[in-house]
Amino acid sequence: MGKFLDKILERFKIYRIPGYYEKYDHKWTMVIDLDRCNGCEACVVACNAENNVPVVGKEECGNKRTLNWIRIERYVEGEYPNVKVKFIPIMCQHCGKAPCETACPVYATYHNQDGLNVQVYNRCVGTFTCATYCPYDVRRFNWFTYKRDEPLNQQLNPDVTVREMGVMEKCTFCIQRIRAAKDRAKDENRSIRDGEVQPACVQSCPTGAMTFGDMNDPDSKVFKLAKSQRKYKLLEELNADPSVIYLKRVMKDGSSATHEE
Amino acid sequence: MKKVILYIVVGVATFAIGYNVNAVYFSDRSPIQPIAFSHKIHAGDNNIPCMYCHIYADKSTVAGVPNVRKCIGCHKIIKQDAPEIQKLTDYWNRKEPIPWIKVHNLPDYVYFPHKRHVKAGVHCQTCHGDVAKMDVLTRVSSLKMGWCLDCHTNGAVAIIGREVKNGKDCWTCHK
Repeated sequence: MGKFLDKILERFKIYRIPGYYEKYDHKWTMVIDLDRCNGCEACVVACNAENNVPVVGKEECGNKRTLNWIRIERYVEGEYPNVKVKFIPIMCQHCGKAPCETACPVYATYHNQDGLNVQVYNRCVGTFTCATYCPYDVRRFNWFTYKRDEPLNQQLNPDVTVREMGVMEKCTFCIQRIRAAKDRAKDENRSIRDGEVQPACVQSCPTGAMTFGDMNDPDSKVFKLAKSQRKYKLLEELNADPSVIYLKRVMKDGSSATHEE
Repeated sequence: MKKVILYIVVGVATFAIGYNVNAVYFSDRSPIQPIAFSHKIHAGDNNIPCMYCHIYADKSTVAGVPNVRKCIGCHKIIKQDAPEIQKLTDYWNRKEPIPWIKVHNLPDYVYFPHKRHVKAGVHCQTCHGDVAKMDVLTRVSSLKMGWCLDCHTNGAVAIIGREVKNGKDCWTCHK
């Protein structure tokens, strides 16, 4: 019995050493410039189309059963002539020390080689623990198996599983595109170029507010943007070490506007 | 006592017969195809390489089933009178694809690129068995996750001479 417990503890430790991801090839990171975000929600639409996220409808949204992997939070301040509106797109932050990973009783969520926090749908039993632990509220639960009507099932992305009832899901940083880029790079015997991988939200952003890249590569655009003075991470005090970096919005009068202030 | 033995014998015999009948006639391992295509004649006796028909095996995730034009290309001339070839010609004249039944069918949530495996140096026969000797194509491997992991954890050294990189990561194969 003691040996058995030791074995479990050993496995538990492997996944939970802080900073263990640093030895991996890639550290996928997203930088979101809030100065450029105008809250058009093109990223939300693109994400839904790319990742087979069902449209649940008004009623289910009212029951707090929304199914969006990325959402735009709006903050409105002040009275009419002096209104300040702030938008902030929030998706899974792919935390380096993710609280959700410690929670899952069946190891359905874990950290992989690329510094991604991934969800294995086949393992998930739907205990909802990860969603409770997530400080960013980005994990979404399939309350029902959503059916697509006849012509709409044709637009499903074959590279992404169609999830069923009782499975937790969340943003994957479009892992299927990362995988495709890796495949291409391997065929041509090179490493992945900067900007070759673009998640659906980054690709669709009309103002170019989002940038995606490899943090381990010092020449990447993301690495340079992350040095900016405006950078901050969401709920940094929780020490979850998110992979998504936000650049503060600077207003006309010089004050910075983040949703945290 | 005798009765008990009789029951056991009859039970075991019934199970054995049923199991075999099921394995032969109702299994998905070797379904009855619309045309009795023989891999033995094509790949075995006539030595046609796999990649002549399954052209995408080293280029794409799927190996690809040849289109009817490819079959007709040879069978316009070869063995036109055989009843099975007549069926093929019918499909060709009707401009219909042949409704082959998929033997090696993976679930929807599995990402299996033929390309990566072929380029790594895995032979077709490693997973598909000795197809060149099969009159009716039979699935020899279980295609279960444990079977995949046999190679992905440590068995690959014997086949491709190196270990699989990130072989244990769930998202290498799942999607």
